[in-house]
Amino acid sequence: MEGQDVTERRLSREDLLKLAAVTGGAAIVGGRAAVAGAARTQLAKESGRLQVLDWAGYEVKSLWAPYLQKYPGQNPKFTFMTNEANALAKLSTGLKPDVVRPYVGYVTEFAGSGYFQPWNPALIPNLKQLNPAMVKAGQYKGKQWGIPEDWGFDAILYRTDKVTPRARSWSLLFDDRYKGRIAWFDDLNQLVWAGYYLGFKKPYDQSDAELKRSQNLLKSKKKLVRTWWSSETDMQNLFASGDIWIAFAWPADWVAMKAKKLKVAYMYPKEGALSWVGMLMLGKGTPRPQHAHAFANAWSSAKSGSWLENNYGYGHSNTHAHPASQDLVRALKLKDPGALSEPHTHIDRRVPRRALYARLWEEVKAS
Amino acid sequence: MIRRHLTTIGLLAPPLGWLFAFFVVPVGIVAAYSIDVLHGPSLFGGSHKVTLAAWHAFFHSSVYLGLFWKSVKMSLIVSAVVVGLAYPVAYYLALSGTKRKYVLLLLLIAPFLTSYLLRVLAWKVILGNQGVLNSFLVWAGLRSADHPLSQLLYSRFAVMLVLAYVWIPFVALPIFVSLESFDRRLLEAAADLGASRWGAFLRVTLPLSLPGVMAAFLFVFIPTVGEFVTPSLVGGTSGYMYGNQISDLFSAGFPDWQTGSVLALFLLAVVAVLTGAFARLLQVRQAAG
Repeated sequence: MEGQDVTERRLSREDLLKLAAVTGGAAIVGGRAAVAGAARTQLAKESGRLQVLDWAGYEVKSLWAPYLQKYPGQNPKFTFMTNEANALAKLSTGLKPDVVRPYVGYVTEFAGSGYFQPWNPALIPNLKQLNPAMVKAGQYKGKQWGIPEDWGFDAILYRTDKVTPRARSWSLLFDDRYKGRIAWFDDLNQLVWAGYYLGFKKPYDQSDAELKRSQNLLKSKKKLVRTWWSSETDMQNLFASGDIWIAFAWPADWVAMKAKKLKVAYMYPKEGALSWVGMLMLGKGTPRPQHAHAFANAWSSAKSGSWLENNYGYGHSNTHAHPASQDLVRALKLKDPGALSEPHTHIDRRVPRRALYARLWEEVKAS
Repeated sequence: MIRRHLTTIGLLAPPLGWLFAFFVVPVGIVAAYSIDVLHGPSLFGGSHKVTLAAWHAFFHSSVYLGLFWKSVKMSLIVSAVVVGLAYPVAYYLALSGTKRKYVLLLLLIAPFLTSYLLRVLAWKVILGNQGVLNSFLVWAGLRSADHPLSQLLYSRFAVMLVLAYVWIPFVALPIFVSLESFDRRLLEAAADLGASRWGAFLRVTLPLSLPGVMAAFLFVFIPTVGEFVTPSLVGGTSGYMYGNQISDLFSAGFPDWQTGSVLALFLLAVVAVLTGAFARLLQVRQAAG
């Protein structure tokens, strides 16, 4: 379903009459300047707080501070999602957020879901500073459905004082020696890294036979796993308390564990880490389009990007944003031009048979 | 006569209306999801014709039925253990003649004054690798700090332990009520006829308290077989239960409301059948008695 551009969106008959009354009245009183002013007023007359459906941790003000400078005191209201499916479930049960953040592999599916509409790039000046490849990844049918912001990796976090990997490989996530000390992520992407480990050509689009092998691998190794996490905070608590030593994790977890003075390393498997780009998407028919665009513009600023990199250890699409610490530069491979390309990393992409992957992952959990 | 009928209807209408609106209708909606008359969130569209495919897949899936059987076993163990533990407590409170029985009963249910979530989370503090139990074991020299008893948390054991803890007061109450309400003169009669205390217990007290025991057993079994909060907090991979799968199919995982509805209805049906069977059994016993 094609969405509507904010500036092009069709108005209902009632809206048209209201707008005509406002602009017509203004035209009589003050001419063309007043017409433009009235139209701006109409657009700016957005009620209520901006509703954002986002991942926990992204409600921190420093990540969208310029928005508050533009709209002082109007803190957005955040609702949290644990993954894209969870977001979709919330949308389908009536939640109507203005802004949602799926990751790049879901952009086309979310665009076609009927819950979203494209952004108006003219209302996001900072878009010009964003990585062009990432901006392009947010496009669908010639329109900008996703604004790229955060990016990072799915790889392996482990305790260097407790764990000695046999190889720089995904196999550390099912190393018999560390039974009960391993945590996986509760997501269908577990079948994807299993596919890379098994050497398949297209782990995002495995054949039935390949999927069966990936599933069997996960089923057979599940006994080694202490838990699968869906809350990053829970996983970090488990890691910090010593309950787990090895985890499927994000760069922010490495930063958090280092801050707790734990001896940790973030391993990029030789089979390639998975990588992702967060995409802000605009809710269809949002009553607050100006606020939503201002929010996306704030997230896209170099200042927000640098804060994200310095504090969470994630990359940011703004090419002017740079982390202060060389540790972070190394962790994010910012000086490695090939770091975000194949075969070093496999960017999250559309999984054509995602429902099947999901069912197979649920079966792994239930087995 | 008509007035009496109207009074009866007037009294029955609100609860029946409530039951219809908040039980029959929701179950009907879930049933509609299970055959795809209604459909949940989907990124892929689809034909959404009426289909029994999800039911067929469920009954041919060793995974879902296996998980259900695992949950039933865990719930049966929890229910049996809890009834076994609660019975002596309820017996003491009801039959010892202590004047403080209601104070003691209040103490028994005191944990209910705190939130369910807090009570479950407290066990994470007790059972974790650096928790109270493991710290004690390390302090006592029974385990090394590098090799704590990690099976205590994120395991089936942890789930069953926490569920037992949570449900003990629920179990003790119906047993207490059934024990307190039975005629003590029957015990005196048994003694007069030469029965030992143990014999009187086996032949008089236990049979007469069985309705309470059965009710208590069901009080635990029904909610725990579909439990998902406790296993998601302390269960890890091995403590994952049927209720978790239903929850994940609806929200946490990828939306598959059709399969989720099938799992939910199957659980409802099994629990209904078991409840009916227990009720029938009790009626037969009472009639025979």
